[in-house]
Amino acid sequence: MIKVNTEDYPWHAGMTVRALLDEKQFTFRHIIVRVNGQFVPEEEYEKYPIQDGEDVLVLHLMAGG
Amino acid sequence: MERYLRNYDAISEAEQESLAINRVLVLGCGGLGGMVIECLARIGVGHLRVVDGDLFEANNLNRQILCSTMNLNRPKTLAAKQRVMAINPLVEVDAVQAELTAENAAELLADCDVAVDCLDNIPSRLLLQQAAKTAGVPLVHGTVAGWFGRICVIQPGEDLLNLLYPDVGDAQGEELQMGALSFTAALTASWQAAETVKLLLGKPGLQGETLEVNLLEPSVRKIKIS
Repeated sequence: MIKVNTEDYPWHAGMTVRALLDEKQFTFRHIIVRVNGQFVPEEEYEKYPIQDGEDVLVLHLMAGG
Repeated sequence: MERYLRNYDAISEAEQESLAINRVLVLGCGGLGGMVIECLARIGVGHLRVVDGDLFEANNLNRQILCSTMNLNRPKTLAAKQRVMAINPLVEVDAVQAELTAENAAELLADCDVAVDCLDNIPSRLLLQQAAKTAGVPLVHGTVAGWFGRICVIQPGEDLLNLLYPDVGDAQGEELQMGALSFTAALTASWQAAETVKLLLGKPGLQGETLEVNLLEPSVRKIKIS
């Protein structure tokens, strides 16, 4: 099990940031991803592994006022 | 005082008197800033410094409470001052028709108890965070895109915006595609105003967290980010 934005989500072997984003249907263009507090640049989504028990944060990049 | 009768006992009379001597800086008088100013003036924050370099445009009419067909092409700060004078003349308004810059940031923050970030771009928001840190002033951050809103309270030195805007330079966010909706701005700004008043009154509020508002789902999530 991992945490995604504070909520439990089932983990599976081989899970990457990209796989998680696809599963969760996070399709927005501008997002910020942190795994255990570590910022993950977009170019690393395909290969960046997510381990069981990790804490993943997926937030919109937004700046409108 | 009759005008504040319905503030009691959500806040005490002593807290009401305390608010009257507080000073709040509101950066940006658009979708968020207009509603923040409205809320702070109505509750009775005594001194507001409102800052914006823009004039109203027709595309502000969908969401910016200070914008009307009567004041297009006029300064947002002027509308803010006139609005506050109309609803609560006890509130002193210092309207500054300017953009936030590295040169004027310290002067704008001077003597303020809280700064409210209602800006519309990432570089200015990061500049404000740095200036507020230097000045020792807590910051109430708010931002919107479409159906989504976010609120954070940033104590001097916490640098939470570096976590929300990591290495993004002057990029723009989801608001480019999603636009901005009236109720999202009003809700997010109201929450900013509430956090501002709690800071002023020493009441517990957001700490090291982001409050993520999703009006489509709908949901509100409080997420620890530091």
